[in-house]
Amino acid sequence: MSDATNIGSKAEKRIAVLFLAPALLLLIIFRLIPLGWGFGMSFTDANNAGTARWVGADNYLRAVNDPTFQDSVANTVILLATMPMMVMLPMLLAILIHQGVPGGKFFRAVYFLPAVLSSVIVGAIFNVVLRYDGSLNEFLAVFGFDAVDWLGSSSTALGALIAVQLWSTFGMSVLIFMAGLTTVPEDIIEAARIDGARFWQRLWFIVIPSLRPIIEFVAVVTTVGLLTNMFGLVYVLTGGGPGTATTLPEFLIWLEQGKLNRPGYAAALSMFLFVMMAGVAYAQIRIMKRNAEV
Amino acid sequence: MAVNSKKERRGMWAAAVPMFLLALTCLYPIYFALNNALKDNRGYILDRFGMVSDPNFENFVTAWGRARFSEYFMNSVITTVGAVFVLLLVSSMAGFALAVLRFPHRKLVFVLILGALMIPVQVILVPFYQTIIATGLLNTRTGLIISYTAFFLPFSIYLMTAFYAGIPRDLTEAARIDGARFFQVWWYVMLPMGKPALLTLGILNTLYCWNDVLISLLVLQNERTLMVGITALRGEYTTNVPLLAAGIVLAAAPIVIIYLLFQRHIVAGIAAGAVKG
Repeated sequence: MSDATNIGSKAEKRIAVLFLAPALLLLIIFRLIPLGWGFGMSFTDANNAGTARWVGADNYLRAVNDPTFQDSVANTVILLATMPMMVMLPMLLAILIHQGVPGGKFFRAVYFLPAVLSSVIVGAIFNVVLRYDGSLNEFLAVFGFDAVDWLGSSSTALGALIAVQLWSTFGMSVLIFMAGLTTVPEDIIEAARIDGARFWQRLWFIVIPSLRPIIEFVAVVTTVGLLTNMFGLVYVLTGGGPGTATTLPEFLIWLEQGKLNRPGYAAALSMFLFVMMAGVAYAQIRIMKRNAEV
Repeated sequence: MAVNSKKERRGMWAAAVPMFLLALTCLYPIYFALNNALKDNRGYILDRFGMVSDPNFENFVTAWGRARFSEYFMNSVITTVGAVFVLLLVSSMAGFALAVLRFPHRKLVFVLILGALMIPVQVILVPFYQTIIATGLLNTRTGLIISYTAFFLPFSIYLMTAFYAGIPRDLTEAARIDGARFFQVWWYVMLPMGKPALLTLGILNTLYCWNDVLISLLVLQNERTLMVGITALRGEYTTNVPLLAAGIVLAAAPIVIIYLLFQRHIVAGIAAGAVKG
């Protein structure tokens, strides 16, 4: 739509304001104002008793030197390092289904099942499955493996958390890639096939390049999920432990504001998360804007 | 693209084996939950992994009654249905304004609404909680409905705007020239035309609201939704697994049924977020 058509009648403008008002009010009252409020709180020693003193940048300095927060950031870095795998695996699965792997339709339907389950349900199930006396160890024993306390030992807990997160989200990514694959030009692939291009060649030179926007999108959605959608899983699966092995910033913020009664400090930690989040969200908004063609 | 040679076809079969194993793990939770829910606690301790031998529904009765899942279920239903209704209404109105109406700074408003995506609940956990207290919404279902709406709104508006922008302008122009007021254009033209997008959004938002735990943990502290109820069922060492499994079945059944019924729309909604047009 061109700029010339941007000028509507007076009645049109009035109705636009009216129609946008509920959405804008909700977003301003429950998201924008709290963001500013939280920023202010992050410079105080606010607690749940209601008293708050200005403490300047103390909370931020404390956060930088807080071993728990440091651990949570380190865990986030490890988590984010697994992002490429969380994108590539679903892509490969989607391509295989698209290529007509035997049982493809069945796979597509079943793979999405974990994605409709709440993280709480996934967490509660794996909490039992991954126990020392759980069914995974029981299963591995058949092949002669020794039992491992997957969630109870700090060397495996984060890996287990990542694996469960991958398991519970890959179906969603497979679906997105399947949708993207329908836009790949079939005739070019067919021509390449007739010219004798092998499966991997067709994949590398035709399919993956035309999937680029989808890869971007899945990467962004996956990253957003890793930064802000792990609460339910951490809460039920590991409770952040053992020690700080699976503590993530969003979980720590929750602990500090509630159990530890330090909302001011929690607000400061939130600002770190906001900075991490803003960059990713910016990329997401750019993709959405491009897709919507408003 | 079709598969080329015999060798490639063999490769496909080889890929199907690990893919099948992966599919089995996706089905395992259903087996886990149903199988264990039908055992009694003693039967579970005696045989934790085997198939249930004498199925009984005692755990469902206990979960529904003594563990108060009937209340949790009502809370989840009311807040989910309420939030989905408000989300559809508000996002359809905003999408209509952004895609059809002409007013200054239209694009800027659209980007600002999407900008709210930069502020997930974790980032404003503390002040959001204070806002809920200050507005008197703490421990009310209305509060949870409004919170869900506020947090799931940007994506809904995005989808409605993209959908309405794709409707030929002639249609709305024609309605306008016929003398229909803007409100009537929205009500009689855009709402019915938007049905596919509204259905998709309704299902996706049902999924998000029903499965949420963090927001409901904050807003509803006296009563509980199902997901918070599940977390309460498990103690560190003393978890009654059959009872937990029954709770999981009760909490997951509605969403799995909705998925099976509306699979196509979920796929369409997710695709609409990722793929142009």
